[in-house]
Amino acid sequence: MPVTDNSAGKTGAATGRTRASHRLALLTADNASVPLPASVQAITAILLAVLLIALPWLGLGYRFLSIAITTLYTAIGLYGLGLQFGQAGIMSVGHAALMGVGAYASAILSVQLGLGFWTSLPFAMALSAIVGGVIGLPTLRVGGQHYIIITFCFCALFVIVLTNGGTFTGSATGLDVGSVTPLPGINFDKLSNNYYLVLAALFLALAATYLIGISRYGRTLRAIRENEQLARSVGINVDLHKLGVLMVSGLFAGLAGVLQLYYLRHISPTLFGAFPSLYLALMVMLGGARYLYGPLIGAVIVNFLPEVLNLDPVDSRIAYGICLLLVILLLPGGVGAGIKNVYCALTGGSGTQTQGGGSNGRA
Amino acid sequence: MAALEVRGLRKQFGGVVALNGIDLDIDTDRVVGIVGPNGSGKTTLFNVVTGVHPATGGTVLWQGQDITNIGAHRIARKRLVRTFQQAMSFPGLTVGENVRIAWEQGRRGGGRWASPGTILDFVGLAPLGRAIAGSLPFGSLRRLGLAVALGVSPELLLLDEPGAGLNDSEAQAFAAVIAQLPPQGIGVCLIDHDMDMMADLCDRLVVLDFGTKIAEGPPAEVLADPKVREVYLGPDKKAPAS
Ligand SMILES: Nc1ncnc2c1ncn2[C@@H]1O[C@H](COP(=O)(O)OP(=O)(O)OP(=O)(O)O)[C@@H](O)[C@H]1O
Ligand SMILES: [Mg+2]
Repeated sequence: MPVTDNSAGKTGAATGRTRASHRLALLTADNASVPLPASVQAITAILLAVLLIALPWLGLGYRFLSIAITTLYTAIGLYGLGLQFGQAGIMSVGHAALMGVGAYASAILSVQLGLGFWTSLPFAMALSAIVGGVIGLPTLRVGGQHYIIITFCFCALFVIVLTNGGTFTGSATGLDVGSVTPLPGINFDKLSNNYYLVLAALFLALAATYLIGISRYGRTLRAIRENEQLARSVGINVDLHKLGVLMVSGLFAGLAGVLQLYYLRHISPTLFGAFPSLYLALMVMLGGARYLYGPLIGAVIVNFLPEVLNLDPVDSRIAYGICLLLVILLLPGGVGAGIKNVYCALTGGSGTQTQGGGSNGRA
Repeated sequence: MAALEVRGLRKQFGGVVALNGIDLDIDTDRVVGIVGPNGSGKTTLFNVVTGVHPATGGTVLWQGQDITNIGAHRIARKRLVRTFQQAMSFPGLTVGENVRIAWEQGRRGGGRWASPGTILDFVGLAPLGRAIAGSLPFGSLRRLGLAVALGVSPELLLLDEPGAGLNDSEAQAFAAVIAQLPPQGIGVCLIDHDMDMMADLCDRLVVLDFGTKIAEGPPAEVLADPKVREVYLGPDKKAPAS
């Protein structure tokens, strides 16, 4: 049967707009579901991997490398948030608390039972996953906005529990751990080795995110994000998948939390409270939750911005606020969307068929 | 024994009785039409049968199994699939991805389509595979709704006003696609207000009024029924063409 419309006509209409608004549309269109050529993806991945691996040898100094480590373990947590928000459409503003569950689980296992990094890691990740799922239970009954409030409350509650946990949680002072148990020939007291440990975990997070994104599982999550009722009507168990993705997100958060713990060697409740949680939400929106490199870009921007611009903490909060507003107004898909759209525009690729129609339905 | 057996189905929304004890048998080798004035309970019938809303009373049997209130996704997996009166899609995803999502669900336990592409070809959306669903014109969106439902490899397809909002030529083309389904082993149960089309397309018509089945049978017979004419000949309703 004949198709009575044509998208070619729509693209033609776009040329009638002013150049500026067309440029803007190119930047803002949400392109996440339009794949880039495999060669472009492969080259990007290789260049990024080489850059990240070479980083400690570029002589950028101790401070730079420290910020890089912070950026990378934060990004690992963000990949979980990117999965639940970007793919499944479930935003959380209490994600730092979920990282805190992992960090504190590992620290308590170390203090109480003497378990080291490697042995406590699976327990910490599992606990974060379970807690993530339990906080998620209300999402099955209430809408996304309510879940956001629940995550915020969880975050506040978590800090209160930690501060009042006596010697078990170290109260307001927190807990200390030793360094990562050395592997044969690798001593993680050396900063660059710690960096490579975190980088290896980041590569795992990236690979997992990539594989989920192209798999049936990823498509199932996106279906839930886009239209829950339709997802049910094609046979998707929406409730199960919502809990499932929150648990997977918890795994990432647990991993990130343990890496944070063993990098800092000391943790306290304020690391996992409301502000760090909001920063995580900011970073994932800034970078673009739906894009493979979005969370990493968001983490790099937020962690390096004060350094590059020489901002004090108050100024940097203002800068973050402005960034967030700009992103919401100009780049609803995040910086990741902008980069991809610019690339598509430059190569004349078929990137923007959306005509702005794709950016609705977020969270 | 019919594939779908609805027995004494009741649905109440607060004080509104949307379904007042419906009995219905639907087989998968033909097209059954459901008609009735606005608010007579047609959509609610689909919603309760497919688990979108829980039943207040009565049972739904599908292939001999009780599927009352077992949940929408389980019913879809049993290959009893529906479309929505409000045209629906996964708006931010490409047309191809929309269909692939349904196809991947339907493929469990053996689907009828070799690939999502065969479904796009069947409904005539193949050229739009890379378009974003949310930017489709309405006619194509309706087709996509059908393609997504077909992707689940239904044995019985419940279509809620698939022609609503389409122009005449689009509606005719759509009717032609629907007519191809029963010979391929996909039963169709169809809600629509276009009586000419329904008379053409359906082997059997069911008429609902205020949540009750008031007539059932071959279209010509049903449309000649005085009770049906009375329902449709209300002060400002057009008489159904018969
Ligand atoms: N979710 C709901 N909540 C409350 N009342 C509802 C709901 N869905 C339907 N109803 C009521 O149930 C009755 C039947 O509605 P239904 O949508 O099934 O009618 P319909 O036959 O599909 O009408 P139309 O031809 O306009 O689509 C109406 O009185 C409607 O107001
Ligand atoms: Mg209706």
